[in-house]
Amino acid sequence: MSYELRDHTADVAVAADGDTLGETFAAVADGLTAAMCETVPDDGERFELTVTAESREALLFDFLDELIFQRDVRSVLPADHEASVESDGDKWTVTASARGVPFSSVHAREIKAVTYSEMDLSRTGDGWEAYVVFDV
Amino acid sequence: MTTYDADGITLEKVREYVWEIPQEGDMRTPARVLASEALLDEISDDKTLQQIKNATHLPGITNHAICMPDGHQGYGFPVGGVGALDAKNGCISPGAVGYDINCGVRMMTTNLTYDDVRGNEEELVDALFANVPSGLGGGGIVKGDADAIEGILARGVEWAVEEGYGVEDDLRACEDEGRRPDADPSAVSQKAKDRGRNQIGSLGSGNHFLEIQRVTDVFREDVGDAFDLREDQIVVLIHCGSRGLGHQVCNDYLRKIEKQHADLLDRLPDKELAAAPAGSELAEEYYGAMCAAINFAWVNRQLIMHRTRRVFERVFDRTWEQMEMQLLYDVAHNIAKKESHDVDGESRELYVHRKGATRAFPAGHPEVPAAYRDVGQPIIIPGSMGAGSYVLRGGDKSMTETFGSTAHGAGRLMSRTAAKDTYWGGDVQDELEQDGVYVKAQSGATVAEEAPGVYKDVDEVVRVSDALGIGDKVARTFPVCNIKG
Repeated sequence: MSYELRDHTADVAVAADGDTLGETFAAVADGLTAAMCETVPDDGERFELTVTAESREALLFDFLDELIFQRDVRSVLPADHEASVESDGDKWTVTASARGVPFSSVHAREIKAVTYSEMDLSRTGDGWEAYVVFDV
Repeated sequence: MTTYDADGITLEKVREYVWEIPQEGDMRTPARVLASEALLDEISDDKTLQQIKNATHLPGITNHAICMPDGHQGYGFPVGGVGALDAKNGCISPGAVGYDINCGVRMMTTNLTYDDVRGNEEELVDALFANVPSGLGGGGIVKGDADAIEGILARGVEWAVEEGYGVEDDLRACEDEGRRPDADPSAVSQKAKDRGRNQIGSLGSGNHFLEIQRVTDVFREDVGDAFDLREDQIVVLIHCGSRGLGHQVCNDYLRKIEKQHADLLDRLPDKELAAAPAGSELAEEYYGAMCAAINFAWVNRQLIMHRTRRVFERVFDRTWEQMEMQLLYDVAHNIAKKESHDVDGESRELYVHRKGATRAFPAGHPEVPAAYRDVGQPIIIPGSMGAGSYVLRGGDKSMTETFGSTAHGAGRLMSRTAAKDTYWGGDVQDELEQDGVYVKAQSGATVAEEAPGVYKDVDEVVRVSDALGIGDKVARTFPVCNIKG
């Protein structure tokens, strides 16, 4: 799994891939973290989150939205993401965790929100790739 | 006919600075771009033109979707976009408002001159940086309990004045007197309220800032007098928005629209244009929630302004009243507002969406505060840290050309990632200091991303606005101190 920050005039885009949907979700989230902070320190407790949505794309959107929400209410920078994605046919669920680095130990910038603009989540030969634009 | 070809999109010149993309396919109206050829070269460099074309697909779009001279690529709707959507048969679009609801700018005038501040710049910038929360997790001036949040969302700046963060006069210089009457706090989710709680009175990051500026030029003396602006005067400019609360409101409603109005969404070329049909329950709810977020943003800027008065008191050892620190005006950049406009000789109710655009009502308009009704609404156009900013007034042509709107800033030219490859925050800071501009930021990367070179030429943006008669040049300011996230 890997991610890359891509050019966008006003905002920032993350391109990511992974062998599984869960790895790809975690890679996008790691990209979100990198967009906020260049050097992430090692401290912080892990926390868990579960999000359910009606489609794969909606799940990716809601997962990233929930991470930004958790960031603001827990006052931590979520980092080192892990995620697994499952579907029961009707609904999609991501079970994830992240290390919450206290704001007091990082110099970070704020990303305002995840957007649907140009969002892509598609299957590749041996896994998945995703493209997400974040509002800065 | 003069045309401009931009990578598959042809614009036809209507007259000087007015370009039109003709209606085709599923476009409901033509799109217009207000720009000089120099600005058009920059505007056509990213996806702005495609995005303003896409905006014409929204039901109820009236006359044209219009791109302002500072337009650049956003998500869904371009930044610098104006779209007037019929409030009976059209729709309202959270995507066309943007995430940072009522991101905006206010300017406070003082009776200090540049000479009063010279020599104190470092003390001032340090004191502002220490006292005005900024960046990620910087907290807020107020920690809001549930009652405070409800009061802010329902009553806007009235709440702040009652709580001692301002005076009655502050209300008179704010659009809607600082209180959006259609606000419905119950339409704002608990999640949004929880995010807002720790951020009441905070700048945030990105392009948001607080700047001490000096007035370098007054171009129209009569309007300058009405705005209390004169050369060499010190003014304060505050740029920020509705923080996490507004961002969450936008996302909440994008998702609700996706679930409840998928049929409308499927007909739009970009999912970020998500819109609720006018008259639907969701349209009403979003309008109430957005208006509440507008109030939140006004309170945010009010608290920062009042805190700035306190900082000046300490630095200059005088009361803020003695320094005559008065709000000139507060303008919103990202809102949709129900307004009456004359369309083909008929008065129509429209949701005027201004995303990265500023309302610019002219002299005589009943919605311009009494103090400015004879000269037109003040408009504040922030420029980059190295180029200065402008104060305009609503122009005579704004109602017929742009539904009473003009530009909102310089507009970005270079991406944030490219900016970080091109500039180093420390160098930018040093160079600015040589020009007499003192900058302090939470993150060096933010300084690089906001370096003067990443923005369009604000002079050219303002020149076109003035020439079109939508926003007339009144005064120019240049930064002295700048703090940012």
